[in-house]
Amino acid sequence: MAYVIGVDVGGTFTDAVLDDDSGSVIAAKAPSTPPDYSRGVLDVLELLAEQLGRSLEEMLAETHHIAHGTTSSLNALVQRKVPDVGFLTTKGHRDSIFIMNVEGRYLGRSPHELQHVLAQDKDHYLLPKRHALEVTERIDRDGNVIVALDEDEVRTQVEKLRSEGIQAIAVSLLWAFRNPTHERRIREIVAEIDPDIYVALSSEVSPRIREFARNSTTIMSTQVGPGLRDYLANLESSLKQKGLGGPLLVMQSNGGAVAASEAPQQAISTVGSVLTGGVIGSVQLGQKLGHKNIISTDVGGTTFLVGLIVDGEPERDTTTVINHHPINVPTLKVHAIGSGGGAIAWVDAGGNLRIGPHSAQAVPGPACYDQGGTEPTNTDANLVLGILPTTGLLGGRKALSLEKARQAIKAKVADPLGLSVEDAAAAIHAAQNAQTGDLLRKSVVEAGHDPRDFVLYAFGGSGPAFCAKYATHLGVDEVVVPLGPVASAFSAYGLAASDIALAQELSDPAQLPVDAVRAEKNFAQLEDQVRQGLDRQGLKFDRVEIVREIDMRYAMQLAEVTVPVADGPVDAGALQDAANRFEQKYADLYGKGTGFSAAGIQAITYRVRGRGVLPFSPELPPLERAVGEPEAQSTRPVYLEIGQGFVDTPIYDYTTLRAGHVITGPAVIEVPTTTVVVPDGRTGTVDELGNLHIRRTQGA
Amino acid sequence: MAVPGSEHFASRPIDPATLAAQLPASLPIHTVTQEQIDALDPLTYEVIRHRLWSVTDEMGEALKRMSGSPIVTDANDFDFAVSDELGQEVQVGLYNTMLVGAVDLAIYWTLQHRSVNPGIAEGDMFLTNDPWVGGGLHQNDAMVYQPVFWEGKLFGWTSAIAHQADLGGVGLGSFSPAAQDVFSESLPTPPIKVVRDGVLQDDVADVWVRRSRVPMMIGLDLRAKVGANSVGRDRLIAVIEQYGADTVKAVMKRMMSDAESRLRGKLTDLPDGRWRATGYQDQSHTGDRGLHKITVEMRKAGDHLTFDFTGTDPQSGVVNCTYAGMRGGVMLALLPILAGDIPWSAGGLMRCFDLVAEEGTINNASFPAAVGRGPIGPAWLTGNLVAECLSQMLDQAPELDAHVQSACCGTWDTAVIAGLDQRGAVPTPFLSILMDPMAGGYGAQPQADGMDTGGLFCIPMGRVPDVEMTEFLYPVLALWRREEPDSGGPGRRRGGVSASMAVTPHGTSFPIGLVLASNGKAVSQNNGLAGGYPGNTGVEYIARGAEVTTMLGAGQLPADLAEVGGTAELQPCYGETYVAPGEVFTMFWQGGGGYGDPLTRTPEDVARDVREEKVTAAAAEQAYGVVVDGTGAVDAEATETRRRELREARRTRGASEGTRETVDLTDARRLDDNLVAVGEQVACAHCATLLGTGAVGELDLVRYEGPVSDAGPQVVDNAGEYVDGAVHFRQYCCPGCFTAVSTAVVPVDHVDDVTRTSRVLADARS
Repeated sequence: MAYVIGVDVGGTFTDAVLDDDSGSVIAAKAPSTPPDYSRGVLDVLELLAEQLGRSLEEMLAETHHIAHGTTSSLNALVQRKVPDVGFLTTKGHRDSIFIMNVEGRYLGRSPHELQHVLAQDKDHYLLPKRHALEVTERIDRDGNVIVALDEDEVRTQVEKLRSEGIQAIAVSLLWAFRNPTHERRIREIVAEIDPDIYVALSSEVSPRIREFARNSTTIMSTQVGPGLRDYLANLESSLKQKGLGGPLLVMQSNGGAVAASEAPQQAISTVGSVLTGGVIGSVQLGQKLGHKNIISTDVGGTTFLVGLIVDGEPERDTTTVINHHPINVPTLKVHAIGSGGGAIAWVDAGGNLRIGPHSAQAVPGPACYDQGGTEPTNTDANLVLGILPTTGLLGGRKALSLEKARQAIKAKVADPLGLSVEDAAAAIHAAQNAQTGDLLRKSVVEAGHDPRDFVLYAFGGSGPAFCAKYATHLGVDEVVVPLGPVASAFSAYGLAASDIALAQELSDPAQLPVDAVRAEKNFAQLEDQVRQGLDRQGLKFDRVEIVREIDMRYAMQLAEVTVPVADGPVDAGALQDAANRFEQKYADLYGKGTGFSAAGIQAITYRVRGRGVLPFSPELPPLERAVGEPEAQSTRPVYLEIGQGFVDTPIYDYTTLRAGHVITGPAVIEVPTTTVVVPDGRTGTVDELGNLHIRRTQGA
Repeated sequence: MAVPGSEHFASRPIDPATLAAQLPASLPIHTVTQEQIDALDPLTYEVIRHRLWSVTDEMGEALKRMSGSPIVTDANDFDFAVSDELGQEVQVGLYNTMLVGAVDLAIYWTLQHRSVNPGIAEGDMFLTNDPWVGGGLHQNDAMVYQPVFWEGKLFGWTSAIAHQADLGGVGLGSFSPAAQDVFSESLPTPPIKVVRDGVLQDDVADVWVRRSRVPMMIGLDLRAKVGANSVGRDRLIAVIEQYGADTVKAVMKRMMSDAESRLRGKLTDLPDGRWRATGYQDQSHTGDRGLHKITVEMRKAGDHLTFDFTGTDPQSGVVNCTYAGMRGGVMLALLPILAGDIPWSAGGLMRCFDLVAEEGTINNASFPAAVGRGPIGPAWLTGNLVAECLSQMLDQAPELDAHVQSACCGTWDTAVIAGLDQRGAVPTPFLSILMDPMAGGYGAQPQADGMDTGGLFCIPMGRVPDVEMTEFLYPVLALWRREEPDSGGPGRRRGGVSASMAVTPHGTSFPIGLVLASNGKAVSQNNGLAGGYPGNTGVEYIARGAEVTTMLGAGQLPADLAEVGGTAELQPCYGETYVAPGEVFTMFWQGGGGYGDPLTRTPEDVARDVREEKVTAAAAEQAYGVVVDGTGAVDAEATETRRRELREARRTRGASEGTRETVDLTDARRLDDNLVAVGEQVACAHCATLLGTGAVGELDLVRYEGPVSDAGPQVVDNAGEYVDGAVHFRQYCCPGCFTAVSTAVVPVDHVDDVTRTSRVLADARS
């Protein structure tokens, strides 16, 4: 037997999905354990092993690889809870990161915010000026050293940073991606002074032209690199001790993966890996269910993430924006809106009920977790309303305190508003639904889409309790709650089901016709790098798929269009074909006759993409057909609609449901890893794979 | 008086119904009824509204991807619009907002003068760069626009405009700083059909590119704009196919009427009154030593505004703009200040104001005036003055103080560069504009400091290119590009700092030719408000005879003009010169004005500014009266002493006599940071001194005039280098506590409006 395990470390829960080469899939969920998240990972792996009926060591010995994703780096960046880092750059150009190309004022803002110029600011510097220092050196466009590196000055500057307590330094010099010798020498000098200082070089983290994005990418990578380094070293050694057979891979935002030992130097590329997992999982499930336009909503304890799939393809970007800085990380577009089940409810100075943006995080967590939290959260409201069972979450493993939930809601919301605890909880639930619906509509509509053309997928531990309601606010007709074996570990499922994708590129600008030998050589070198990279993952692939591309443009343009180069020998004919494809694609994109052949065509960047196809295909097992009507396990009073109060509501145990079962709302379905609400006027139908489809009740 | 025959090209706003009635039967238009507009459901409205927004957004992305000009790809100096069948702008891009005031004028003109001959048909696109017709503000702004048809009826228009690096004329970059009239500049081209039946017309395209020094780039950008329009049409048609033409049109009409009614609602809630502002351009062309005035009176009555520019100086040199430029200047201020929280359906917003201006003046220039500096000189100044009026009005409404702002960077410091790039296998001529001055400072607001290197107010989504892109494209080395401490105007809220940069030729053995044009060197253009000080004056130098190449080879990287060597040669506002290999060219453009008296700024804020190098320790002491110790912390005692001394100095220098009455401020109404009204009385908000009574009186303020150096280190005291007229520092203070109420650097004959009681008590007068 060989296993692939996907692990998604979230702010509140750590999810894992395991599939094997016979096609079966199991999932587990455990609380996250900040600040040392590795304990939670081991906990969840232990749970998987239990389900297999094997010991942890036995399971790990036969594990082909673990695909690991985490939101912790992203959370740290977004919440600006990162250690102080230093920045060394070329003399005269320190202020690049303060001028921010001006665009730092508006990047990442919504259309509505964009035109509200006077409400914008630039108060989001990555570091104070005293931590940004210059060194005398200069390299030009062609990589020539114009001014030699002043090594004594480097030493002085490093000492200055050390005296400020700095333990991590980002080095980003002008044109270093053309000639990295000065950056590398600085790393050597830092190591001579203090080998424990973490150093990231822009020529390695982000070897692209345009210094502002390269600077900010390198700095952010430095802000999360040391934390990732310590965490992964710790985790990998624990796993090795327990006999992990295959490699520990860290997923990247673009769907690729790096070995855990290589990840800290590329820390920024792993930011958002879990987000990718959730969207990839939705794409895969969408293929099985025949859905092409999907709004994927992943509601965890700490975050609420939205991804869009249009015509079967997830929306992608070559760069991303974090805290109004451009970050050179190819990624799937995922919007973080508001916060999840841990969002704190509060009453503002004007006496209005507000939800979020602050979250109770994993620690202390919602008040009902009884871990010292005193702020009321959505989860607390759901417990008071009877939506969550008082017996606790995760099949009773996560106990919940109704008393603490009531106390928190009473003190912070009910008393200030003059409401009963129950009515206050209902108000929190309703406000969360409406607010989520609005935020979702904003992110879908502002991307230029009509939500009525979409199906909404709701996963994550906290989403299914709300999804039918927020989908209604959004105007979406059908909601799918992915249940069955992967249930709320949906993002981990995406990670476990991913092939390994790597890409290498090389900039070699030249006017067409390019010498075919030169092009062939470029591709051969890149393919070699990609194959070596895939080898370094230490995995056995079923096969490796290679795709070759050239980015082309008309002479004088500054942006390119990517075209594939056919398999087979790279000769003049193949290059001409590629040029023809470029002209065709350009005309398709921008209109007939907009091309400008007279200027000539240039080949700019050569790229090889490799996909290591794994010998696993995590098939979700079909569910048994239903015979007869579903049976409610029990009823309990649940408060779902303001004005109706508590209504005796049937409670279903998901494990007793079968394909074809239809449940008419109001109803609550308890799944081991989550709780689904089917409101009044809605009907839930269980499909062949065990997913629940919630639609408007016929005739309602 | 107009040159006979030229009036044909002077486009003006026109009532849509009048325009529709003029159209021939051969051009049927698509429109909808009020019932259809009223019948829209809210979700459909929101969805289509955002789809239209993303149409302009995608046009922008497409143009950026297709263009070969860094002005477009890396600095975002362009804009887009989607307009209805009669040219009213429904959705505009957030790039160069001055262009918003010109786009519809060109479409009105086209409907009036092209619908019969040669006709307006499906598959057509028009091209124009005639600033009298509209579309752009000077001839470098070239617009390509297309009628969009649905089922044989004219449904609407899409348009794309971008600044082109060079379209001919006697000067590099089409900018001739010595021009006497438009014939030294690029030839204005009235609307001409560049695409027929979907095919780019080679004869027209060839005529277009033939005029340029960089024909390849112009040919490429022409196709890029055609492509952006194609993208716009395809996306718009897709929306129509999904929702139906009537529904989409109903949304378009409603967007404009919503924007209009929201702006009218906001105006209704504000006090009626008249506000005035006057500003200057120093020098109008090479060799000129004059000061050229634009003055505006803004009248607000009910839900309507009138901007009256009567009294503005006659057109002169190259510092003129057409009617389109004046309107564009108004829009650059009105959009973000009054409509920041209202969707920019400009067609609706523009129904809320009128313009009054004499023909033949700087911002309503008649043919054949030179208008090369139209957008960046006079239109910009027009916008800054309108912003000053709007801010004075809004400052009285505390709930709107987030919309009040002192003047931002007051101009664009132009530097056209041209020469021979010898870095590649084949030496190649190059010509472009240094786009670094995009990093101007923003003005301060009552509740916030101005944004440091926040950009240019007229291009909300402008951008400075990365230094690497400049060096990639042109044979230069940037020695530095950095924020400049003290360049933001001091105030209770500090103006945003600007930046400077220095380049030296690298990769060419020939001098690089330079064409320079700017203003705000002798007289401040980035005024403060409510006693806040102006930001810095711009300044450009060439280190003549320097040998930087040798220094670099020796491992020295100079970080300052003084370190560069050679002779520092001060550059005029307008001139043509060169920078030779080894020499260095430096630019230092404008920051933003301050808000409120700097002596009232929280000392900790000043200390933070010193630590973050926004303010030097010396200026902290001189301008703010804040003493910062060696650790960067406030020395509270020394600060108190210093501030007392500075106020005492104001008292000593002023000619104030006698003691004054004070007023009970219990029921005071805010007028600005320093003034309050109690009924008919105006008093100092800080010390309650009575300053004036009644709407037609004078405020009893202490006026001080002194040397320009009194304004602080950010204002260079050498007006005599640029102009003949004398310039001085002028400040009005409360005679009770000597808090500054108004601070300015102005010509000695500047007529200000500070002491007119009706400036602040306009309500009472009307």
